[in-house]
Formats: sequence, C-alpha cells, structure tokens
Amino acid sequence: ASVVDIHIEGMTCNSCVQSIEGMISQRKGVMSAKVSLANHQGVFEYDPLLTTPEELREAVEDMGFDAFLPE
Amino acid sequence: MTKHEFEVAMTCEGCSGAVTRILNKLGDVKFEIDLPKKLVWIESDKDVQVLEEALRKCGKEVKYNGTK
Ligand SMILES: [Cu+2]
Ligand SMILES: [Cu+2]
Repeated sequence: ASVVDIHIEGMTCNSCVQSIEGMISQRKGVMSAKVSLANHQGVFEYDPLLTTPEELREAVEDMGFDAFLPE
Repeated sequence: MTKHEFEVAMTCEGCSGAVTRILNKLGDVKFEIDLPKKLVWIESDKDVQVLEEALRKCGKEVKYNGTK
C-alpha cells in the first residue's frame, strides 16, 4: 500500500475529523484514514492500483474542505 | 426561483463552512445557513435532488423540509 499526507483546512472539531475519516475510508482502494485536527492533516493508506492521491484530495475537497497534496 | 428548506445535521462551524463551500462550488444558488437550528435555505432553480445530493457530500444527514 502507499501512503499520502493531505493537508486539510476548514476542520474545527472532532466531528469534522470523523466525517472525513468516515467518508474517505469507505472509498474504493482506501485501507485506512487517519485525520488530525491539530495538524490540519490526513494520512491515507491506499492501494495505488485502485485510487490516486489526487482522487483522495478531490474527495476531501468535495466534502467542503480545502485539501492540498504535499509539494 | 424557489426557496427550499433542508435540515442538515451540522454540529460546528466546520460543518457550516463545508456546506458553504459545497454550495458556492455548485453555483447558481443563494443560500442562508442557521447552524444552531441546523437549517439551510437555498434559493435556486436547480432540482431538489441536485441540491440534496450536493448537501449530502459533506457527510452529514440531510432532510428535505419542503419549499418555504
Ligand atoms: Cu467540526
Ligand atoms: Cu462540524
């Protein structure tokens, strides 16, 4: 599996964290989703054959948060 | 334009911010959010289904209350 760190802006509490973890972990190809409110960051473990970091970034952004891939 | 009322299970400003960004991205809508009442009013010519689907993207429960 591969891992991507996505920078996430707009979360204010743990329920934000849980909705992102819940939605993203249900996606095809995602093995785990761990989001940190304090670090404004999500760490996602995924199968590179089934999804891409950009798809995951878009999925977070679709939920209404600002999401950025590492440079 | 029709004004629709939705109940969205928002709990914090992160939620209402997410709803705001989702609706701005959707475009062609005028909206108002009442976070304590968990209500979102949307004025738009778009289908209710389109609006509801967009709101659902935030991962919260969404209920349609009808037109206002
Ligand atoms: Cu929150
Ligand atoms: Cu929230």
